Amino acid sequence: MKRRNFVQNLLLAPVAPAVAAAATQTPSPQPAIHQKPATEPKTPVRERPWGPHDVPKLDLTGVDLTGQPAPHYFTAAQFATLRKLGALFVPPLKSNPGALEAQAPEFLDFLIGASPDDRQNLYRFGLDSLDSQSRDQFQKPFCDLDAQQADRILRPLLVVRPWAEDFPSDPLQKFIAQVHEDLRTATMNSREWAAASEKSGRHFTRGFRGSGYYWFPIDPISQG
Amino acid sequence: MPVKTYDVLIVGSGHSGGMAANILTSKGISCLMLNAGPEADYEKDRALKHAYELPYRGFDKPGRLPHVFQANEFNANQWVDEKEVPYTCPSDAPYNWVRVRLLGGRSLFWARQSFRLSNLEFKAAEIDGEGENWPISLEDLAPYYSRVEKIFRVAGRKEGWPQFPDGDFVEINYPPDTDSIKRFTQIATKQGVGVSKWRSALGKDGLASSINLLLPDALATGKLDIVENAIVREISVDKNTGLANGAHFVDRHSGREMHVKTRVVVLAAGCLESTRLLLNSKIGNSSGVMGHYLVDQMYGVSVVASVPEARDGKAPPGLMGGNAFIPRFRNLSKKDKRNFIKGYCVGISSGGNANANFFPLYGEELQAKLDSYANSCVSGSIFGERVARYENHVRIDSEVKDRWGIPVLHIEARDTDNERNLCKDAADTIEEWFHDAGWEIICKTDRVNPPGYSIHEVGTCRMGDDPKKSVLNKWCQSHDVKNIFVVDGASFVTCGWQNPTMTILSLSMRASEYLAEQMRTNAV
Ligand SMILES: Cc1cc2nc3c(=O)[nH]c(=O)nc-3n(C[C@H](O)[C@H](O)[C@H](O)COP(=O)(O)OP(=O)(O)OC[C@H]3O[C@@H](n4cnc5c(N)ncnc54)[C@H](O)[C@@H]3O)c2cc1C
Repeated sequence: MKRRNFVQNLLLAPVAPAVAAAATQTPSPQPAIHQKPATEPKTPVRERPWGPHDVPKLDLTGVDLTGQPAPHYFTAAQFATLRKLGALFVPPLKSNPGALEAQAPEFLDFLIGASPDDRQNLYRFGLDSLDSQSRDQFQKPFCDLDAQQADRILRPLLVVRPWAEDFPSDPLQKFIAQVHEDLRTATMNSREWAAASEKSGRHFTRGFRGSGYYWFPIDPISQG
Repeated sequence: MPVKTYDVLIVGSGHSGGMAANILTSKGISCLMLNAGPEADYEKDRALKHAYELPYRGFDKPGRLPHVFQANEFNANQWVDEKEVPYTCPSDAPYNWVRVRLLGGRSLFWARQSFRLSNLEFKAAEIDGEGENWPISLEDLAPYYSRVEKIFRVAGRKEGWPQFPDGDFVEINYPPDTDSIKRFTQIATKQGVGVSKWRSALGKDGLASSINLLLPDALATGKLDIVENAIVREISVDKNTGLANGAHFVDRHSGREMHVKTRVVVLAAGCLESTRLLLNSKIGNSSGVMGHYLVDQMYGVSVVASVPEARDGKAPPGLMGGNAFIPRFRNLSKKDKRNFIKGYCVGISSGGNANANFFPLYGEELQAKLDSYANSCVSGSIFGERVARYENHVRIDSEVKDRWGIPVLHIEARDTDNERNLCKDAADTIEEWFHDAGWEIICKTDRVNPPGYSIHEVGTCRMGDDPKKSVLNKWCQSHDVKNIFVVDGASFVTCGWQNPTMTILSLSMRASEYLAEQMRTNAV
């Protein structure tokens, strides 16, 4: 029904710039075949449809407000390295939360755990490599380095990327570019970031980061 | 129950199918339009949301659309699911096939850049010294371009340059150029390069789609029926005449098989889906050319600079902002000898922020840099023309089937030195312009995204006068099966640097009027 109304509204709209208006005037030829009217049984109209009426719309609570994420994909050592990267790459600045406040590492534990093999392998390789480099160079895990020590490992791994989808071919440089990008996105797309923006009166950007029009699955095929 | 009969089956409801339906029904011809996907309801199917409200915080479900770089979690449900309708590629040659099956197709989401091809493209072989000309020229298509531009309300600035044909534009007042754009324009103009403005379809309320500009009028004639979720799998052929007599289609939800009989079949399923349908139907390919000459534009080359006076929030009013557009300026005549044929256009945009990935920094240092460079950036990027090559092709991969059991496409397209040299020239040239303007280059790349990325794939049923070298004649009509027309981008002979949709629409309009006349005189 709704669909019909939509089409009818379009038909009634006085503005649709008609091809006919722009078309050169040519006499219409006779249609080659005359159309037989199809007969389609009408759906019976009822005053009041069957079923329950005035079903109340209940007030529900967002899941993030009720529970804490339970990271389980990375090993404890890998997760500690990821948290350390979060603290270094996206610290809290101005009134914005940092990666740790936004629980970006916890979110990435979920995201990477649900990702295809190549992304999982990149993360595991990258986190393990940083940790072993740290143990070789400073005889302690990466998560225990001070900022200067961590910088000596990280700085040579940073590269300029003209487009977000450009990644270096060196696997460790690639991991650093990817995890940096992911930590920033997970932070800036968090509930905490949104709340801080709202508090400071800043507006969201539209689109990938911030807010935007979300398209629901449109008439999905049942997965049976 | 008696079913309706139709003169014409139109497969697909995007720009090309919408135009065919509009023209044919306006001539009193009854049409059935089958569209593979459902109709979107703009009120029900979308909502304004924060990224944190989405299941994957804006990242989208991992691995879902590996070839759609344009996809994010907000828009992921618009695109064709790559698992439902897969395609295959060689492992060393990825192809980005970006598809929409909703009613209206890609016309719901296109960016509305609207250009005419010029005779540099229609008669490309003359200037390139290789390849084929189109069997038509700008003069043949110009009247149709004019009508399409009026329907789609294309805004543009007239220039009188042969490589950038003017059209019937809506007059709009462009805001005066900012000082950064003026500076850039001076530098380019001194080198004899013409600087203009983007040309864009205004449509209605920002939508320039078949669903609001073409199909409502067609439905109002009472001569059009549209069926959603109907996937055409094969065109059926009368064994005695060799002509098409309808099509087999399958219901997207239930998988129920159906057949419809019609006098003419118009394919408007998008270049590659129309080609897939013809290849799966095993018709119209006596030339052996079907599926070959797949081509689209190159995107990816980019240079970003920062205007020093605009840094640290100190930009004086009127310095930053605005844009400029440079249509093709390379190889405009045979005298211009380069290490590549064809050309590219350049889009310039002033007043942007720097992206985090531009700097090899992190944490506080990165944020300080981003703050300092905010609103000081000027960027230049290109759409470059690829050469249409026989080797770049699609064929049926009979090993792999889509969700409805229909064999999928294998796509093979690779770039050559011509593409690489063109992109290098583009990056070096933009860098030089920005350098001459006194701006600091932040980053530069001549890397190209994989073929298909531009979403402007064309050419796999090219048109031509010689049936041995082409699939369609100059009216988009199959040389082999006279009652089949292909009105989407499959008929292109070259792709040009121009976004294709104005040309697709004009060709569809021209082909549909020709078809209506052929039907009137019973020639088809
Ligand atoms: C994000 C984006 C930005 C773009 N920007 C621009 C731009 O600025 N300028 C420009 O010129 N172009 C642009 N384009 C490209 C432009 O959208 C296309 O060139 C144009 O819309 C193609 O129209 P079409 O009718 O040929 O194909 P489509 O729009 O793809 O329509 C094909 C239709 O056929 C249907 N179909 C497919 N297979 C079957 C089947 N087997 N059975 C039944 N139905 C089938 C599909 O459901 C679909 O609706 C852009 C595209 C996108 C996605």
